[in-house]
Amino acid sequence: MNLVWKLLRQHISIPQFMGFFFANLIGVVIILLGVQFYNDYRALDSEDSFMKADYLIVNKKLGALSGLTGKQNTFSQTEVTDLEEADFVEHVGAFTPSTFNVRARFDVEGFVNFSTDMFFESVPDEFVDVKSDAWHYREGSDEIPIILPKNYLDLYNFGYAQGKGLPKLSEGILGAMKLKIQILGNGYGDDFEGRIVGFSSRLNTILVPEAFMQWANGKYAKRDMVKEPTRLIMEVNNPTDDRITSYLQEHDYETDEEKLDASKTTFVLRVVVSIVMVVGVVISILSFYILMLSVFLLVQKNSSKLENLLLIGYSPAKVSFPYQALTVGLNIIVLILAVCIMLLIRSVYLTMFENFFPDLEAPNIMPALAVGLMLLVLVSVFNIVAVRNKVMSIWKRKE
Amino acid sequence: MNKIQLIHTLPNVFQSRTDIVSDIWKQDVTFEKGKLYLVEANSGTGKSSLCSYIYGYRHDYQGQILFDGEDISGYAVAKWTDIRKKHFALLWQELRMFPELTAWENVDIKNKLTGFQKKKQIREWFDMLGITDKLDTKLGRMSFGQQQRVALIRALCQPFDFLFVDEPISHLDDTNAEIMGRIMTAEAKRQGAGIIATSIGKRINLEYDQVFNL
Repeated sequence: MNLVWKLLRQHISIPQFMGFFFANLIGVVIILLGVQFYNDYRALDSEDSFMKADYLIVNKKLGALSGLTGKQNTFSQTEVTDLEEADFVEHVGAFTPSTFNVRARFDVEGFVNFSTDMFFESVPDEFVDVKSDAWHYREGSDEIPIILPKNYLDLYNFGYAQGKGLPKLSEGILGAMKLKIQILGNGYGDDFEGRIVGFSSRLNTILVPEAFMQWANGKYAKRDMVKEPTRLIMEVNNPTDDRITSYLQEHDYETDEEKLDASKTTFVLRVVVSIVMVVGVVISILSFYILMLSVFLLVQKNSSKLENLLLIGYSPAKVSFPYQALTVGLNIIVLILAVCIMLLIRSVYLTMFENFFPDLEAPNIMPALAVGLMLLVLVSVFNIVAVRNKVMSIWKRKE
Repeated sequence: MNKIQLIHTLPNVFQSRTDIVSDIWKQDVTFEKGKLYLVEANSGTGKSSLCSYIYGYRHDYQGQILFDGEDISGYAVAKWTDIRKKHFALLWQELRMFPELTAWENVDIKNKLTGFQKKKQIREWFDMLGITDKLDTKLGRMSFGQQQRVALIRALCQPFDFLFVDEPISHLDDTNAEIMGRIMTAEAKRQGAGIIATSIGKRINLEYDQVFNL
């Protein structure tokens, strides 16, 4: 193979290949950085891992007199359908409230002894972003998975514990503890154990799986209590859509503006990152074009050598190999360098992020690596096929 | 491979000509393994075309060419590569060597592919043909006659059933021509192969089994 390479490397244009090399490097770095930055940002943004940013919670405005006038603050079926049919909505789910009495007790011997009346709500499972085995209730089981509002933890840590000189609790510790829950209603009374799956800063409610709620409402609630939901959760396809705000105003609904803004930020960021990545892709495609042109030019310049090699018994595969190895080798070097540069830039911006979010856990670089590898495979396959076709055209030209 | 048959073969370019008198074109001709053939021709009678048809890099003919009774027009790329590597050796009139490589490398590039001849044997041939001092000379710096000798050595660096030599001695003196003839026939005999030589005047003096006028 050495002699073949010695022959075929004639006419290799270093400037052309350098041109490809740097253009492709820039393109790939931009693409990888785009993927990685978006991922890292998502990790920062997702203080709430139970709800995606595109979910909005909607309720009716409570006026000062609504309690007295008896005006309904629940959503009727027609109102839900109307919302479902709106263009900006992907799908809508209702919050189902519990219609039985819940009493929860939380004790850590010697430290905390906390007991309260409370309530449960549930939303359809597709809106809860927890691994399905953790968010699963089996009928007859004593264990209920629960998501608590983050505010509760803050209230305890910064108010109650502070005032009473009790130790502060982290999410991790609480997650390992059990909540004792008593459910009363319809003549029944049973004990359950609540397992805290996590804390949510976006859902201001005590969430249980929908399966449990249906079963419990069936057993402990009074038969004639048909409840209409007071809150809805909806997935929108574009949180920046003005129609959302106007629709909500028109119908006297409200949603958490701050959350809507956060969603907007994420959305805008996603658009910006997408644009940057498209630029990266365009640069990569152009550089790929340069590479293909140089290789074709090379094949053209060396066509008589290639032809003679084919005639003395070298197979098209053997003759194509040096150029295929050259292009694939270049692609691999570009990818390795691009990953290094991406990691370098990332370490710079992660240091900046850490100033704002001290306990930030940066996600791994697998998605960026996967995208890089996919690009490598795709481009390499193209290269290999293109070189092979070019060599075959030399073979066939003799017809 | 034991037999090459040409059945009513005619290059497409001769199609409109009616005055063709030839022992090969438009005839039924058989070349057999182990025999020596000479094809004599005037310039422009399709001698190189004949080589390129049999070597599978041109297909612009009518009629049929059969290898052991098999029509070659349907052969795939892999089949031709195999034939060029193991069954037919060809010394081109235009040599098709690599001027960028040395004489030795030009031979070695073929021998590396087939792994057929020992280094010692190759050196011996260089020696016999009087070009040992040119082993490390770039081929581009050698005379055509010297290149022809290197090309013959390269052609012998593979197993073959037939050896085609297209005007092999056009630029050689009689002594070298005779040495070349000896080397060729000895190697062909060793392999039990046939030789098909062409000439447009100057011919190697061998005991030909059959002479064709193209």
